[in-house]
Amino acid sequence: MSSSTAPRGSLFSGIGYYLLALISTAFFAFPIVWMTLSSLKSDVDISAYPPKWIFSPTLESFRKLFTELNAMDALINSAFIVCLATLFAMIAGTLAAYGLARFDVKNKNFIAFEVLSIRMLPPMVSVIPLFIIAKQLGIFDTPWLLIAVYTLNGLPFVVWVMRVFIQEIPQSIEEAALIDGCSRFECFWRVTLPLLLPGLAATMVIIFMFAWNEFLLASILTSSEARTLPVIAASSIKAKAISWGLGSAAGVLMSLPVVVLVLLMQKYLVRGLTLGAVKG
Amino acid sequence: MGIEVKSVYKRFGAFTAVNGVSVDIKDGEFFVMLGPSGCGKTTTLRMIAGLELPSGGQIKINGRDVTYEEPRHRDIAMAFQDYGLYPHLSVFQNIEFPLKVRKIAEGERKKKVQATAEKLGIAEYLDRKPGQISGGQRQRVSLARALVRNPRVFLMDEPLSNLDAKLRATMRTEIKKLVTSLGITTVYVTHDQIEAMSMADRIAVMRRGDMVQVATPLEIYDRPRTEFVADFIGSPPMNLFPAHFDGKKGIAATVQPFADSLSGEVADRASSFADAQGQFYVGVRPEHLMIVRDGVEGAASANVDFVEPLGQTTNVYVDCGGHKFIVVTDRTEAKIGDVVGVAVTPGKSRLVARN
Repeated sequence: MSSSTAPRGSLFSGIGYYLLALISTAFFAFPIVWMTLSSLKSDVDISAYPPKWIFSPTLESFRKLFTELNAMDALINSAFIVCLATLFAMIAGTLAAYGLARFDVKNKNFIAFEVLSIRMLPPMVSVIPLFIIAKQLGIFDTPWLLIAVYTLNGLPFVVWVMRVFIQEIPQSIEEAALIDGCSRFECFWRVTLPLLLPGLAATMVIIFMFAWNEFLLASILTSSEARTLPVIAASSIKAKAISWGLGSAAGVLMSLPVVVLVLLMQKYLVRGLTLGAVKG
Repeated sequence: MGIEVKSVYKRFGAFTAVNGVSVDIKDGEFFVMLGPSGCGKTTTLRMIAGLELPSGGQIKINGRDVTYEEPRHRDIAMAFQDYGLYPHLSVFQNIEFPLKVRKIAEGERKKKVQATAEKLGIAEYLDRKPGQISGGQRQRVSLARALVRNPRVFLMDEPLSNLDAKLRATMRTEIKKLVTSLGITTVYVTHDQIEAMSMADRIAVMRRGDMVQVATPLEIYDRPRTEFVADFIGSPPMNLFPAHFDGKKGIAATVQPFADSLSGEVADRASSFADAQGQFYVGVRPEHLMIVRDGVEGAASANVDFVEPLGQTTNVYVDCGGHKFIVVTDRTEAKIGDVVGVAVTPGKSRLVARN
């Protein structure tokens, strides 16, 4: 009899899984959908109760965002700062991870732990020293300050994650390349790096998002010139009222690049997020 | 010419992996380093390859001192146990890789890759990725990648141990034929005595970082120098009978008739095999023992413990005064519990040093 119950059981569990997936997706997607809808509503429609599901969409909130809050400048600032910081952190972090994974460095486990321990520090602790240093160096309210801060913020994560990805690559593959005529760097460039692509993509997306969404440091270490999108978005909350339309529009604007990035990297991300991607 | 290794040693912290190894490997020779895991054979090979730097000593390849050279400047090729193929490249690109790195023109590269692939019977898989072919085919690709640029020296680190037994046997003969026909100096590391015996021109048996004996396969089989070599080579292994050498009285052994069968000239050399206390072994290969009638002159009297008929031969486990050993013989009438005589084929007793 078990043969007839087995398929029915799996059918039910199949439907169960889909139902569960549907509910949890709806749960997590709801705020995003709500935000997107709000960004397209007029102020009157936003505050309507019960909520309006059918309304005539308007781009008024986006217009205000770009005219009143100078969102374009902030978008350019954000893109410039976050892209450069991500690039620097990826390059320096991956090279450091390679050294820690492959070479005989004295006390390398201690070094690796030290690198990670920086992340244990609450960011708030570093704000005042950073502020004073920036003032002294004259880089307060310039993109370079945030680039440096975000690079340093991302580094420990890159070092730790990339170290694991590098260790996953069998050493004999690199040794084969060394014997086949490569120098250490050629070997890294031609053999290790292509094998690391999934890991690099996954790590990059994550530190990009860290920096892209970062608010605390950006709000304190900039005043007008180097303001980034999260700071602008937050300014939709004013002392007397919250401008829901403006805030939602800023939220949508901020989400778009991340969505695009994830879609572009999807192929690598799936492999990169499940470690052990490289098997001969 | 060939490879000269001069008192090379390697320490990892307090652990000595290779303990002052010296050996001359001749041009075109097939040289096998054999030993259990952790004996230093792979470390020695990796030092020849340049993947590991020696803590001391000197390595010369074709007369040039390469002790501290980078691997790429040594004109060597290497095959790895796990093949070391580049998973992101096709079979063709894998074989082409060493030529490409050396900036050889594309037309010539194609020709060479094609020719090598055909020689190794992998021409039809050139478009596939290493992940899409079988273990045996992967090993062929790794051999092709090594041979495509006609290296002077070919290093192999247990290349067959990930293959199944049947494939191993065919690959063994194939590799041996291939490198012999190309006249490449080959250093081959294995823990498999059959691979060593069947392929090597010379074998170095290694133990705890030392080369215990370096000789031709048959020499090693016939005249193992130490207890370790005697035990490691041959299946079932050589029977060892503890013996004592006393200058005046000659040799006293646990099973005296076997010591007595040592030819006079061999017995004279006993002093060089004996340790400080005069201890050594008399060794006899199981197939050099015969079951005879009990009481025959020159034979030791023994009880039959167990009989193992294998078809072609029969293993007879005997007990001679508490000393147990094995006789390999043709089919025999002997049964468990019988008392038989065991005699040595004349001239086949050997002197074996303790470890």
